[in-house]
Amino acid sequence: MDIDHHETPIYRLTGVSKIYRKGGREIPAVRGLDLEIRAGEWLAVQGKTGHGKTTLLQLLGGLDRPTQGRVEFGGDDLAAASEAQVRKVRAQSFGFIFQTFNLVPTLSAQENVEAALIPLGVHLAQRRARVAAALDSVGLGDRAQHLPGELSGGQQQRVAIARALVKAPRVLLADEPTGNLDEDTRDEIISLLDTLWRERGLTLVLSATTVRWCGGLSASG
Amino acid sequence: MFFLTYLRRELRRRMRQAIFIALGLAIGIGLVITVMGASSGVKAAQAKVLRALYGIGTDVTVTTKPKPPSGRPTTGQQNVGGPGGGAGAGVCINGKCYSSGTIDTLLSADHGALSAATAAEIARLHGVSAAAGGLVLTDNRIVLPSGSNSQLQPPTSVSVDGTDISHPKLGPLSDGKLTSGRTFAAADANADVAVVDANYATANKLTVGSTVTVAKTKFKIIGIATQPEASSPPAVYIPLARAQALATNPATGKSMKNMVNTVYVTAASAADIGAVQREIEHLLPQATVTSSSDLASEITGSAASAAKLAGALGKWLAVLVLIAAFAVASLLTMAAVARRVPEFGTLKALGWRSSRIVSQVLGESVSTGIIGGLAGVGLGFAGVAIIDKIAPKLSATVPSAGGSGGLQTQIAGGGAGPVGSGPSAAASHATIAVPMSASVTAGAIVLAVLLAIAGGLLAGSFGGWRAARLRPAAALARVA
Repeated sequence: MDIDHHETPIYRLTGVSKIYRKGGREIPAVRGLDLEIRAGEWLAVQGKTGHGKTTLLQLLGGLDRPTQGRVEFGGDDLAAASEAQVRKVRAQSFGFIFQTFNLVPTLSAQENVEAALIPLGVHLAQRRARVAAALDSVGLGDRAQHLPGELSGGQQQRVAIARALVKAPRVLLADEPTGNLDEDTRDEIISLLDTLWRERGLTLVLSATTVRWCGGLSASG
Repeated sequence: MFFLTYLRRELRRRMRQAIFIALGLAIGIGLVITVMGASSGVKAAQAKVLRALYGIGTDVTVTTKPKPPSGRPTTGQQNVGGPGGGAGAGVCINGKCYSSGTIDTLLSADHGALSAATAAEIARLHGVSAAAGGLVLTDNRIVLPSGSNSQLQPPTSVSVDGTDISHPKLGPLSDGKLTSGRTFAAADANADVAVVDANYATANKLTVGSTVTVAKTKFKIIGIATQPEASSPPAVYIPLARAQALATNPATGKSMKNMVNTVYVTAASAADIGAVQREIEHLLPQATVTSSSDLASEITGSAASAAKLAGALGKWLAVLVLIAAFAVASLLTMAAVARRVPEFGTLKALGWRSSRIVSQVLGESVSTGIIGGLAGVGLGFAGVAIIDKIAPKLSATVPSAGGSGGLQTQIAGGGAGPVGSGPSAAASHATIAVPMSASVTAGAIVLAVLLAIAGGLLAGSFGGWRAARLRPAAALARVA
C-alpha cells in the first residue's frame, strides 16, 4: 500500500514520556518519544521484555496517560482529554489484541465478541449480525457457542481479533499477539492480521520481542 | 439480556462461593425470622393470658384492697354433742360457727368492695367507652363430720364470677365461646341460671340442664363456654344481681347487695387508655387501677423470661449473625473482584463504563443475596416449626382474677381446745400454663427480602467500588 506522507497523521506523539514510580525509584518506560503514524500504516515495535512496548501501546490506546508530552489521535490530545472522552474514543476507534487473549472465560466466543459492541449501544439484532460476520471473517463461524476453555490458543486469539474488529475500529493495537502461540499458529495469526489490514485499511500497531515474522506482513508498514 | 447472561455465567463459575455467601445470609435471615416468630408467639401467648384474665375489650380494671374481717373467729371450744357422744368438732368461718351440715359460702376475699354505682360514675368519664361492674368470688364448701363420717373433709373452692349481663362485651365471659346452650339474656338478670366453664363441666360431668350449687342455691346451667387456652377462667358465671345477693362481704359479714369488687373499663381508643387510667385514679384515690400494659409488666414466669430472651438475647444474636454474614459476603465479593481485575481491565479497554462494570458486580451480589433471602425464609419457617414442635410449655404467673377464698377457719376440736388455721395466704397470683405458638409473620418475610437485598448491595458495593477504581493499564498489567 502506498502511503501519502503529506497526509495528516492519525497519531502524533510529541515529547512523550512515561515514568513509573515504585518505592521512591523512578522507572522510565518511555522517554521523550516523538512519533507520527499515518492512517493505513502498520507499525511493528520491537524490543526486549520490559523495554516499554506495552506501555507505548497503552498510551496509543488511551489506556494510560503519559507523564509528559502529547498523544494526539485524530488531532485530539488523549493525554489532556477527560476519562469519559478517552473511554468513548477507545470504544469507537481502537481494537485491542492482547498476548494472553484476555477473553472473558464465562462468555462464549459470540458473547466475547459482542462485549465490544455493548458500549456502542448497538441493538441486539444488529449486534448479533455483526458478531456473526466478525467470527466468519476469522474462520470461527462454527465456534460461536464455544467457551474460551473449549478453544485452542490460536482459536482464542482469532476470537480476540474478531472482538477487536467487530466495532470497525480505525486502529488495531496488538500487544505481542503471537507471544503465546506456537510457530505454525503464529504464522496463521500474522497472515490473518495481514489480510484484515489490507482489506479494511486499518492502521495496525503491533509489538513483539522479535519482528522476524513481520515478513508475513505486506510492505508499506 | 447480555447483563443477565454474564451474571448467570459468572454465578455458575463461582457457584461454591455464591452458595457459601447465600448460605451465610440465609442463616442470618433465618435466625431473624425465627426470633421474630418466637417473639411474636410469646407476645401472643402473653396477650392471650391478659385477654383471658379480663376479657376482650377491657382496657382498664378497677379494684380495691380488701378490708380485714370485722368479726373474729370464736376462740375456745364449741362443744357440740356429736354422734357417738362426747364433744364433737365445730367450724367457725369469718366469725360464724357451724357444727354440722354443709357450709357453703360465697366470698369476695381478694378484692375489696366498691359501690355498684362506681361503674356508672366511671362510665361518665371522658375517654371511657363503657364500664361494667362484676364480682370475682369464691364459693367455699366444707362438709362437716356427721354420723359415721367423723373426719373433716378438706374444703373445696370454686371460682364464681358475678357477671353484669347488660355489658356482654366486658368481663371474663366476654372472651368465652359457647360450646353448648346459650349465654345470659336480659331476662336472666335475677334468675338462678349459670354458664359454666367447659373444663369445669367436663371435670364434674355437667351438661346444659344440670344444676350447680353456689352458696347453697341451685343454679340451672344454661350454657357451657370455653375460654382461650392459657387462661384461668372462673368455673361458674352467674348473674351479677344473684351474686350480689348471695355473696358475703368478709369486711362486714353482710351481703354484697349493690356492691361490686371489680370494674371493667373500655377506653374510647388505645390512645385514651393512659388518660382514662389517670381520671379513674383521681376519682377513686383508694382504688387500684390497672391497665393491660401494667398487667403485662406483672406477668412473671417462664413466658415472661422467654419474651425477654427472644426480645433481647435472640434479637442481638440474630443481629450479630447477620453482621457476620454481611461481612463474609462483602469480603468474598471483594476477593472475587480482585481475581477478575484483568477481566474488568479488558472490558474497560473495550470501552465499558465503570458504572456498567459496577452494576454487573452489584447484580451478581444482589442475586446471591436474594437466593440467600429465599433460603433464609425457608430456614425461618423451619426454625419456627421446630420451635412449635419442641418448645416447652411456658408458664405465666399473673395477678389472679379469681381469689382462692382467703378462708378463715377455726376448727374447735372436741376436748382438745381450738385448733386454728389462720387465713390462708392471700394467693393473689395464679400460675397458668401458656402454650407458645411461633409463627412467621408477613412483616418478617418482607424484612427478610429487604435484608437479602441490603446484604447483596452491601457486598456488591464494596466489590463494585474496587472495580470502579481500576485503571485499565494497571488491570491489564496483572495479566499473567
